[in-house]
Amino acid sequence: MASLPPIAIPGQRLGPLSTYSAGPGTHVQQSFIYASIAGPVVADPAQPKSQTRPTLRVSRVISSKDQASSNPAVPAVMSKPRYNTLPAVDSIVLARVTRVQKRQATVSILVVVDESATQSQDQSRTASDNDNVASILTSAANPENHSSTDELRFQALIRKEDVRAVEKDRVVMDEMFRVGDIVRGSVISLGDQSFYYITTARNDLGVVMARSDAGNMMFPVSWKEMRDPVTGTGEQRKVARPF
Amino acid sequence: MSSQRQASSASQVPHLSPAELSYLYTSLSLPKNPIRPDGRSPTQFRPLSAETTILPGTNGSARIGFADGTQAIVGVKAEVEKTVLAADTLDSRSLAQHGDALNREGEEGSAAVSGQGEWVQMSIEIPGFRDDDALPVFLSEMMRESLVGSVAGGDVDGAKEMAGGLKGRLVINKRWHWRLSCFSPNLSHTPSPLLSLTTHLALLSTKLPKLKSTGEEDPFFDDDWAAAEYLYPRSNTSKSSLSAAPSYPVRPPVTLLVIAVGENVIFDPNREEIAVADAVLAISPGIPNSENVNMLGATAGPGEESGGQEEVEGVWRPRRGGVKRSVIARMVKTVLGKGGVGEEVLEGLEGVEVQ
Amino acid sequence: MADRRRINGPPGGTRPPVFASLQESSTGVANRAQRQRQPTELRKIFLKTGLIPTASGSSYLEFEPSASLAAARSNPKSLIPPSSALKLACTVHGPKPLPRSAAFSPNLVLTTHVKYAPFAARKRKGHIRDASERDLGVHLETALRGAIIAERWPKSGLDITLTIIEAEDDRWWGDAPDSHDASWGMMNVLAGCITAASAAIADAHIDCLDLVSGGVAALVSDDSSQSASSAPRLMLDIDPAEHRSILSACVVAYMPARDEITELWLKGDSSRAALDKNDGRTGHEALIDGAVDAARGANTVLAEAVRESIARSFA
Repeated sequence: MASLPPIAIPGQRLGPLSTYSAGPGTHVQQSFIYASIAGPVVADPAQPKSQTRPTLRVSRVISSKDQASSNPAVPAVMSKPRYNTLPAVDSIVLARVTRVQKRQATVSILVVVDESATQSQDQSRTASDNDNVASILTSAANPENHSSTDELRFQALIRKEDVRAVEKDRVVMDEMFRVGDIVRGSVISLGDQSFYYITTARNDLGVVMARSDAGNMMFPVSWKEMRDPVTGTGEQRKVARPF
Repeated sequence: MSSQRQASSASQVPHLSPAELSYLYTSLSLPKNPIRPDGRSPTQFRPLSAETTILPGTNGSARIGFADGTQAIVGVKAEVEKTVLAADTLDSRSLAQHGDALNREGEEGSAAVSGQGEWVQMSIEIPGFRDDDALPVFLSEMMRESLVGSVAGGDVDGAKEMAGGLKGRLVINKRWHWRLSCFSPNLSHTPSPLLSLTTHLALLSTKLPKLKSTGEEDPFFDDDWAAAEYLYPRSNTSKSSLSAAPSYPVRPPVTLLVIAVGENVIFDPNREEIAVADAVLAISPGIPNSENVNMLGATAGPGEESGGQEEVEGVWRPRRGGVKRSVIARMVKTVLGKGGVGEEVLEGLEGVEVQ
Repeated sequence: MADRRRINGPPGGTRPPVFASLQESSTGVANRAQRQRQPTELRKIFLKTGLIPTASGSSYLEFEPSASLAAARSNPKSLIPPSSALKLACTVHGPKPLPRSAAFSPNLVLTTHVKYAPFAARKRKGHIRDASERDLGVHLETALRGAIIAERWPKSGLDITLTIIEAEDDRWWGDAPDSHDASWGMMNVLAGCITAASAAIADAHIDCLDLVSGGVAALVSDDSSQSASSAPRLMLDIDPAEHRSILSACVVAYMPARDEITELWLKGDSSRAALDKNDGRTGHEALIDGAVDAARGANTVLAEAVRESIARSFA
């Protein structure tokens, strides 16, 4: 334990496989764990029920725990956005609706929410490498700057049957999503060559941010309605349960 | 190399399943005696048929075909071109004429004696690729490099005309030179060694018209094709004694593809074998016995997953990492060592009658 | 392929005229750059990551100018610099989705572009990548592909773009090309590209087996008297402008932690190397070992640059 370096670079030997098990950011070669990315080395303590050895990983970002230990005066926001967390099955993503069709909605994935950070309940740090989530989301709800960066984002589909868990056959896509909405979804499949598949069939999944026809941000009033605070008109959405 | 490149970048070889790849790797890496899918020994080449001078409109041409129908055609065309010296050499040339300060080589215009690599052009067409895609360019650069890079050992007798290698041979006089274009209209997906062998034969059969003018005159040629001279001059040893003295003092190089799988070194791999190789090496042996190596290596890493405790995802996983130096040394030695395969191949090529 | 979109400069060199009198006064021989370093001494390398904010990873690499170039800069005798030093920038974009037309790939798809700036070499380069630049791109891809753990990034692509701002010379500018002439400068450029790209990939937090670095070694014969007895000597990290004749050279991409080579490019005649009598190695083995030593040297710089980049982002 004491021999662990604080910071690793790719190719650096971290420890034997007999003491640790390999986590993200590492690889195994000849029964030793080596770092495969540059970053701080974190040893997650073994969980008694599942593992016998602590998991060694190289972190891509500063977790809140590391942040507390390092200098608190330095803001955690890195200078540049990075989009190098890939969506995997079961990961929670925030995506913007780019197209709504009769049978499916096309979305582009903005942020892959880091599960490990979610557990720490630090909402400001839920996004992994996409540090300035707030700016991504607010700009995304603007209809003007669509599609310019969509080429750089991973595309995904929400099929009609994946929108909600009940009354699947009564789903009308137009009443669930509108172009420009921000949706929280869960990845169910890596999909085909061009699209991931996403589901919103859970109470905590669905539209989290939306603008009304008048262009104002709406607030959720029920699981299927959001309301414009200025005009007071309601619009139908598949709304995610607010935290 | 070609197929490996295509495959590794995008995905594995499209027409083999992971299980097949794994099987192929295991049988090729059997210690001492690998089992190849077509039953060849590790150093055995695929049987081929060759003919030369098949395209009447070219200065030299050749066709080589494998038994399975894969074939390559290469044509060589020579054109007279005015020598344009690059700006930097022009400077030193004119300077050398002005004063003797820069007169290093003893003669003015040394550039004109040694020739330039740009005078040899190589264009390879591969179906499904644009002619400026990376793969064809890489292949043609690789072949061109070994062509222009091969320099005759000055001590070989009869090689006087070939001083400076192929580049030197292309010089007519200070102002004129030959430009050589090799082209290969590809009919199918051709492996690069086949292409290289074909180019070798095509260049051997290439004839240039006999020069009638002398010195620095504008070149003027004999229009009798029968009097034309071979680009690669040959000594007058009788053709019947093939195994005796080599009939060509200087020969165009051949690029051989060698792969390493496990402990084994395997020659002339086919597409599938390349796909599972630990390392791929392209070697152009020069003159036999002189270890004039001109090689280009492309290596891919071993699929070694030791430790045993890591999760095993499927039967076959893509290789990663590189190769050890000892592996490369062994591969090179098998090709270039005394009595190595390189020598064998060049001897075999002697046997091809070039009219 | 002709570039029809731009008004291009003349294809040849566009250097100012140099008068013979000027050249004579400072005698051509003295003007030739001479290697001041030991045969195994490398040039210093400047390497810094994270300079380009819009890219997910980036790096800038520069070789130390040779002593003669430094001298010529402080006390110019000629308008023509005696040699040049490598300067290049690397950007990494991605992982990003593959284009819609691309087929499904379970691995990371690597794309490499190497481009010389038009002013990078003594001979002007066009705006469209020529054959040598594409060739470099393929070599670079081979070198990097072995080091990247591609299966961790399914369905995504990584674009690596290298811009050569200043390239190495293939020979001293005043020399006429001789029979051993080849694009030796390209090999130095490739080694620099490998090291810089490796730093940029680490900066982009792409999983790698190791930091792969490039190194060059060459057999050179500097003797002006054409005596046959003078055997060529093995030198690491050559500056082609400093040598009269390079017989053969070798570039490797090398991963020191695993002692593995991912790319090897050797050309020329390596049979006449002057090795010790008790040295059992053949010429090409010595060359490869030399190049590996050079790559090891570059790797120390690379590792330090990567550490610096983490220190910056995790400070």
